[in-house]
Amino acid sequence: MRSQVPGNGPGIVTLRAVVLGCLAVTFALPMVAVVVLALNPGVVSALVGRDVLQAAINSAVTAGVSGLLATLIGAGLAVLLDRTDVRGRRHLRLLYFSPFLVPPFIGAIAWLSLLGPSGDITQAVSGLVGSSEPVFSLYGPVGITALLTIHSYPAAYIIISASLRRVPTSLEEAARLAGAGRLRTLRDVTLPLIRPALIATFTLTAVSNLSDFGIPAILGLPVRYYTLSTLIYKYLVSSVLDNPLQVVAAIGLVLLLVAVIAVLVQRRLSRSVQFEADGGAPPAIELGRSRTPVSVVSWAVAAVIALFPLIALLNQSLIPAPGVPLTWQTMTFSNFTDAIAYPGALNGIINSVVLSISAALICGILGLAIGSLITRTRSRTNVLMDLASTLPQSIPGLVIGVGWIIAGIWVGLYNTSWVILLAYVTAFVAFVVQSVRAPLAAASDSMEEAARISGASAVRAMIDISWRSALPAAAAGALLVALTAVRELTISVLLAAPGTRTLGVVIFDLQQSGDFSAAASLSLLVVIVGLLGLGVVASRGDGVDQSAQKAVRSYVNN
Amino acid sequence: MIDRRRLVLIIVSAVTAVSLASCATSLPSAQPSPATGPPASEAPGGEAPSGEITLYTSEPENKITEVIQAFNEDYPDVTVNLYRAATGELTARIASEQEAGGVRADVLLAADAPTFEKFKVQNLLAKFVPQEAKNLLPSVVDPQGYYVGTRIIPTIIAYNTNMTVARPTSWKDLTDPIYRGKIAMPNPDVSGAAAFNTALWLDTPSLGEPWLKALVANDPSVLQSNGPVSQAIAEGQPPLGIVVDYLVRDLAAKGSPIGTIYPSEGVPYISQPAAVFESSANKPAAEAFVSFLISEKGQKLAVAQNYLPVREDVGTPKGAVPLSELTLLEPDIASIAAKQDAAVKLFNSLLDG
Repeated sequence: MRSQVPGNGPGIVTLRAVVLGCLAVTFALPMVAVVVLALNPGVVSALVGRDVLQAAINSAVTAGVSGLLATLIGAGLAVLLDRTDVRGRRHLRLLYFSPFLVPPFIGAIAWLSLLGPSGDITQAVSGLVGSSEPVFSLYGPVGITALLTIHSYPAAYIIISASLRRVPTSLEEAARLAGAGRLRTLRDVTLPLIRPALIATFTLTAVSNLSDFGIPAILGLPVRYYTLSTLIYKYLVSSVLDNPLQVVAAIGLVLLLVAVIAVLVQRRLSRSVQFEADGGAPPAIELGRSRTPVSVVSWAVAAVIALFPLIALLNQSLIPAPGVPLTWQTMTFSNFTDAIAYPGALNGIINSVVLSISAALICGILGLAIGSLITRTRSRTNVLMDLASTLPQSIPGLVIGVGWIIAGIWVGLYNTSWVILLAYVTAFVAFVVQSVRAPLAAASDSMEEAARISGASAVRAMIDISWRSALPAAAAGALLVALTAVRELTISVLLAAPGTRTLGVVIFDLQQSGDFSAAASLSLLVVIVGLLGLGVVASRGDGVDQSAQKAVRSYVNN
Repeated sequence: MIDRRRLVLIIVSAVTAVSLASCATSLPSAQPSPATGPPASEAPGGEAPSGEITLYTSEPENKITEVIQAFNEDYPDVTVNLYRAATGELTARIASEQEAGGVRADVLLAADAPTFEKFKVQNLLAKFVPQEAKNLLPSVVDPQGYYVGTRIIPTIIAYNTNMTVARPTSWKDLTDPIYRGKIAMPNPDVSGAAAFNTALWLDTPSLGEPWLKALVANDPSVLQSNGPVSQAIAEGQPPLGIVVDYLVRDLAAKGSPIGTIYPSEGVPYISQPAAVFESSANKPAAEAFVSFLISEKGQKLAVAQNYLPVREDVGTPKGAVPLSELTLLEPDIASIAAKQDAAVKLFNSLLDG
């Protein structure tokens, strides 16, 4: 299938050398840094210490359970939204997809103001049962697991939905002809066929949740419940250890190994999910008499999940002071004006915008070059380039952050914006590579050959013909990089320094220092801008569904 | 197809222009000042200070923003780069910067004298006594001349005015089982004031280790820093807490149902000292900033920001008990400095145990 131009002119050789050089910096340097610092005999004792073990257990439990729940919910939604005749499926799908558009740490801030110890819902329920104590609280493992689930099920749904679509309808039809009911067919024919996809989904979401920082930080730190990612943060920002970098690198190396194993499992499973034929549109499962009740419940749940966080953020942003109920008289917009007036916040916004645009640009060019080299030329280094550019997608952001702290100190860029930019490129170049791979592989050789015959050099032919055809895909990938980077927290929180704090870090710090209303105001702005941004991507003609799916495919596991 | 391609080209070229321009301007300036600031030797004595300084502080973002604005009215040529974090995070950052080539800040404004004593011993601070130091309360001025206190920040008991149980009147009361699970307090790993208080409570004969054990046995919520503690009390969950006084006045002024109790044994206080780092490349501007903090103008602003001032000629904040009427737990700075780490460790072990 893959078409390759055998002619490797000197230009291509130069291009390859440049790209390999870039990858040596963006990928090899931080990973080597982690390994070098981690392989220190002194850290073993720290690694098996009580704190680290407890945090590892907490991480495994919250990530494992949330991965499982996300997979189950994703599978349920895939059946409900893709296979039944529930009312308003298209819009329902968008609502259920919405948590994906909200950065996880902002989701945590929002739900906390509803379900925290003094959250509005908590207070209402406590009042109903006549308790002066809060009857529940989002702080701790249950809340962390719930929030991780909410923020990872949309990705699970997209993957499962895609594999469900590939199930050959003929098999299901055969079962129906043989007399099996619809549910029985689903259980005995469809589910076994997508089981590998379910396991792959679980692996992906669990590993991705393992590396999330925002949710366990906001819901765990206040009650001193640590996961590996928040423990890394604690070690780096407070002076509890003498050799924090070494211990942190060792934890990073363990996470790195977990991620690599997950990638291997994932690759193995995805190979076994290939079906012969494309599914075609299966007949909808008619819900019959239960159609209306099922529709009402589905819409109600979707509305809660999509709208409550927004309402909560708005509520928290409009109250003048904590403990004051929101009424028309007390309502104030001063939190918005105050939050934006902080030079810190403004600086954070500028830093994030500059960093995300720069990262998008670099990733766009580098990704296009990598994509065309690995699809259009033949070389032993292709596999290496492929791995170095796409593996970081599966590596927890924390490991990349830690790698760049160490590498940053080595090369003297620590505490500058450059180190954050480099880390973003490491983490996000895969978006562009994945996005340009298909159009580049599909392009025919004859055009490039024609260009060569007319006297163009190999590089010139590649740039003029292949790059041009892949440019829309590269731009879409770069836009995705920008949208992801502008709200990034996990990497930035480790690398931010005076003057280089990003928007995510500013919001996180405001929340940590107890300025909940300012944090909520900025969060609301981020969510609204994010929704608008995605609206722009979606309206580019692909339709929301497709661009959302594209987004997820690149996003997942990040 | 052509339209879309053209659109993409336009976007890409616009993005290129914007990001190259901003790369050129913004990124280098985002680097901390030691790389960019003028060397100290070039700043002659008579001229007004100028250039950049970097300030590490634990002050709330909105308050320090006002301070910098007021400072810039007097010193328009000095750019103050602000880095705000909890004291524990600042000390960790300073420690890691020492490893990675030197402290990047010019001024430190945070927490308590014992923290500064530790930095002084490590030779991180520059000797600097502001001219107006003689107008300050003598207890907040370092006799060796390395730092000056800028605000008196007592730690008190705050309560939610909707609280149904009887109000405590002393630190001892907090160990009463009726307050079990109803107390919030800051984490001494993160909060400088909390670390200081823990050492001081242990050093106070009427309280000491038995009291601290009883307090921890009463199951307090140990939140990160003073900010979240004051928020939690204002929201009523939990309704009682140990927190710095000015945050309570801030919230009460905005309408939160929160009030202050001055415990009968006396209140510990920190002086939020300011100092210039020895490694500062722009000492004139750094010194100007420290001097401004304790000047009459700086102190009047502090009072307007609900802080108790460190000089007697600027009044007291609305609703605050004046310093002269407060019973203070007077620390022995050297003793607290020596005991602080052990006190925090003890507190953590009580919590975990």
